[in-house]
Amino acid sequence: MMDEARLSAILSRYDGEPYDLIPVLQDIQDQYNYLPKDELHEVAVRLKVPLTQVYSVATFYKMFSLIPKGKHQLKICLGTTCHLKGGQRLVASVCNRLGVEVGYTTKDRQFSVETVGCLGTCAQAPVMMVDDKYYARVTVDKVSKILKLYA
Amino acid sequence: MVNLTIDGRAIQAKKGQTILEVARDNGIYIPYLCYHKALKPIASCRICVVEVKPGPPRPQPACSTYVTEGMEVVTTSERLDVIRRELVKLVLINHALDCPICDKGGECELQNLTHALGIDRVDYEAQVLTPHIDYESSLIERHPDRCVTCGRCIRICRDRVGAMAIHFMNRGYYTELGSGVLPLDCEFCGSCIEICPVGALINKVFKYQARAWELEKTETVCPFCGGGCTYQVQTRDGRILRVANQDSILLCGRGRFGFPVVHSEDRLTTPLIKENGSFRPASWGEALDLVAQRFQEIMAEAGPGAIYGVGSPRATNESNYLFQKFFREVLKTNNLDNPGRYHFVRGMAGLMAVFGVSQVDGLAAPAARVPAYHSPYEVTEGATGSGLMFVLGKLADLPQADVALVVGADVTTELPPLGWALMKARENENFQLIVANPRATKFDRYAALSLQYKPGAERLLMGGLFKAIFAAQPDIAPVINAAGLEEFKESFKKFSLKEYATKAGVDEGQLKTAAELLLKAQAPAIIFGTELLGQDKGQENATALADLFLLVGKPGNPGSGVYMAAEKANTLGLLVVGVLPDRLPGFIPIDKDPGLNLEQMLEALETGHDNAPQALYALGGDLVRWLPNRSRTEKLLKKLKFIVVQDAFLTDTAKLADVILPVAIHVEQEGTFFSSDSKLGLLRKALPENGVRPDWQIIMELANRLGGAFKYVKPAQIFQELAAQLPVCAGLAPGHCFPAPGLTAKLSGQFVPFEQDISLPGRRPYTLIVGKSLQHSGSYTTHQPCGTLMVTPGARLKMNPEDAVALNLGAGETAKIISSHGEITASVSLDADLPPGVVLLPDHFGEPAANRLTLNSNLVRVTIQKM
Repeated sequence: MMDEARLSAILSRYDGEPYDLIPVLQDIQDQYNYLPKDELHEVAVRLKVPLTQVYSVATFYKMFSLIPKGKHQLKICLGTTCHLKGGQRLVASVCNRLGVEVGYTTKDRQFSVETVGCLGTCAQAPVMMVDDKYYARVTVDKVSKILKLYA
Repeated sequence: MVNLTIDGRAIQAKKGQTILEVARDNGIYIPYLCYHKALKPIASCRICVVEVKPGPPRPQPACSTYVTEGMEVVTTSERLDVIRRELVKLVLINHALDCPICDKGGECELQNLTHALGIDRVDYEAQVLTPHIDYESSLIERHPDRCVTCGRCIRICRDRVGAMAIHFMNRGYYTELGSGVLPLDCEFCGSCIEICPVGALINKVFKYQARAWELEKTETVCPFCGGGCTYQVQTRDGRILRVANQDSILLCGRGRFGFPVVHSEDRLTTPLIKENGSFRPASWGEALDLVAQRFQEIMAEAGPGAIYGVGSPRATNESNYLFQKFFREVLKTNNLDNPGRYHFVRGMAGLMAVFGVSQVDGLAAPAARVPAYHSPYEVTEGATGSGLMFVLGKLADLPQADVALVVGADVTTELPPLGWALMKARENENFQLIVANPRATKFDRYAALSLQYKPGAERLLMGGLFKAIFAAQPDIAPVINAAGLEEFKESFKKFSLKEYATKAGVDEGQLKTAAELLLKAQAPAIIFGTELLGQDKGQENATALADLFLLVGKPGNPGSGVYMAAEKANTLGLLVVGVLPDRLPGFIPIDKDPGLNLEQMLEALETGHDNAPQALYALGGDLVRWLPNRSRTEKLLKKLKFIVVQDAFLTDTAKLADVILPVAIHVEQEGTFFSSDSKLGLLRKALPENGVRPDWQIIMELANRLGGAFKYVKPAQIFQELAAQLPVCAGLAPGHCFPAPGLTAKLSGQFVPFEQDISLPGRRPYTLIVGKSLQHSGSYTTHQPCGTLMVTPGARLKMNPEDAVALNLGAGETAKIISSHGEITASVSLDADLPPGVVLLPDHFGEPAANRLTLNSNLVRVTIQKM
């Protein structure tokens, strides 16, 4: 069931116009860790945006997810530099350790793993982000230490 | 004009045309994928690239590059070929190789393109994606693995239809056509299917039936609303397999999926005679002889006026013309009318009161020989015209309007082409839409102003609007020569603007804004339809809106006009050809012995007056089903001694008949329709009749048995005779509207005060609006196997979710609806578009019969109970 009060609290911060769509979705994503279906329907009605457009936006941006995400978001960079510096090996190591594939969430809903195109700090490649925090020069042996911080 | 060369050929083009358009007009082939003539170019596929000099060194997309003076265009070169081949190869990487089972095979643009470019292999590989094929939705099947992401479907849905039911999901290589939810929740017009260059969108009704090249194609007119769309009927072996509009692509759901009515199992195929309360099949000769004999007996006893005729908006102009000729010349009575009496005729009467009847003067004598279905009158210089037809808006002009006021109409439901015209009007930046309706409708989304008034309060709303206009501009002078303005102003003295607003249930400020918009408008359009006219005071409503147009209308400016939506295909035609008790063809009034109109006829029957008819000849016109107060109509019709019904189905009225004559319907007959904006549509015969006969032949046979001498061989002859009586249609030809643009309009008007009240008596808590369903037109589309039934299989009582909670009703549960005149049960559906206290029930289905509840209007107060 949809928690109407929770959604209304988010919507009340905006004008309720179509241009509020992305900020509203961002807030929902932050609070719920994903975009629940019922909430999307309600957002479409309240912001006067066709439901298909809501879904189009929600699936276009990587920051949104239609399935529940873990408590912590792991973003592993596979940009050119990180790729050259062993980004792919980092991905394999993280996935192995968590027992999850890229794009998915661990069983305990603690971690979601995704790869990204660039995190903008190529000098520190290979780079990984956990939530809002950057981890530089992440070699395979550092992975377990980092993950432990969030366990 | 612009001079340019394409592939060395010197070509003249119009300014503002694109290279692709010019090339196409001159028979030069430029391949493309995302472009479509019905849409604005987006230049995303880049396959139409051409070399342009002078210009940048790289090739330019032909679909979005405008021609300029001295431009040199090269459409084929090695470089262009390489680019195009490369682009199509990229499209083909993971394109499903299911051409043999894909419905599009044989008319697939990608197939053709691949062939034209000589692509025999694709040199790339990419991740194979799992397509989310949608087999679940009604009527439309989606195969994302065949999609070329041209976006045509999304654009036609968003920009032309205005439904926004499909959109791209994900991005980049993963882009996929999606709808967010399954099954698809849309208008089911199927325009996306038609515009898809490949087989990504499939018509489930047509699926696996035939290949494109096996189909015979006939251009005809769609019979499912008064919009007059022309479409192509595609047949094989005597069956329609699909229909298509290849110009604008747009058709509505009933147009695209309603055609199977022709092949319906329950169609009547032979004449029926009632004996001892049940029908038995009869031969045409026997049935017609019996009708002629009974008519003669009744006339001998009670005079010709004892036979009453009801024309039909589904029959052609020719048939209806012959019908009134039969009554007037053979039976010698004016006792005939048409079912539009309860809606469209009221609208025309309102317009007529304000603008006068239409006539055209100064024409030369009719030409002796003209092509078939053309008017014999030529529009000569100096010919002038006047009256209501000159203010009746043309759908083709509506996109040029700058302000449109929609009152009491759910536009797309009432007349889908009117909705498309409004969508087109929205492309004009200055266009402003005002929607006034007791409930939320599709076009509220696009409206600059939504006025949600109380049901039945439209005349108070109009009163408020006039008040606001007069307050904003006290010395307003109408563009049209108008009389009676001062007295008219006096009629709004009774209430203040605030009182009007309160009584109508709207905001005072909104009325002021609406008034401002209308006063500023250079080409205001006023739109309304059957829902508004179906009220008992429908004519007063129309008068109010005609007055408004007289006040603010600018009929000289294209787009400015009064647009009246008719539910059935030939509703206007009935009036033009004179199926009226008091008017001959061409609106010519009858001063001596006019007949009774439908309402008067029923009253006469009720009171048992001397002039009450004793027999009814109904050309279609299912009175029991469509007139308000069903039980009264039934009771009164049972008083008649003899009823003949000419229809394709055993309708509720036909069940009361003594003789039923089965008729040919749209694609089985030739003839013409007048759309509700007066466009002449030409029906062509695409299927054999299989035992039934076209209306005109039946009427002719009957007339000749009763002493007439009708000798028509084909409908075109009847049209020729008819057109000679219609100077008002001078210059008319198929696809054209009347009055012809060459006529000088001498418009004048008379302000007519209207009743400012709410006509909705009673104390019951809910107001029921008897409305229309988007998927149905009349009752034809409710016969199996019409595709429309897959979307809307029956009538449901729509109500606000809050009301449902209060009544303890859930979606799909059955409610008992009780009015002072009857009660019915209907299953409930929840719809937040309806305000609390207002419920809506469409009237297309035999059960639940909404008109069991109504008295004299399509509005009625009801009580609702959970069953």
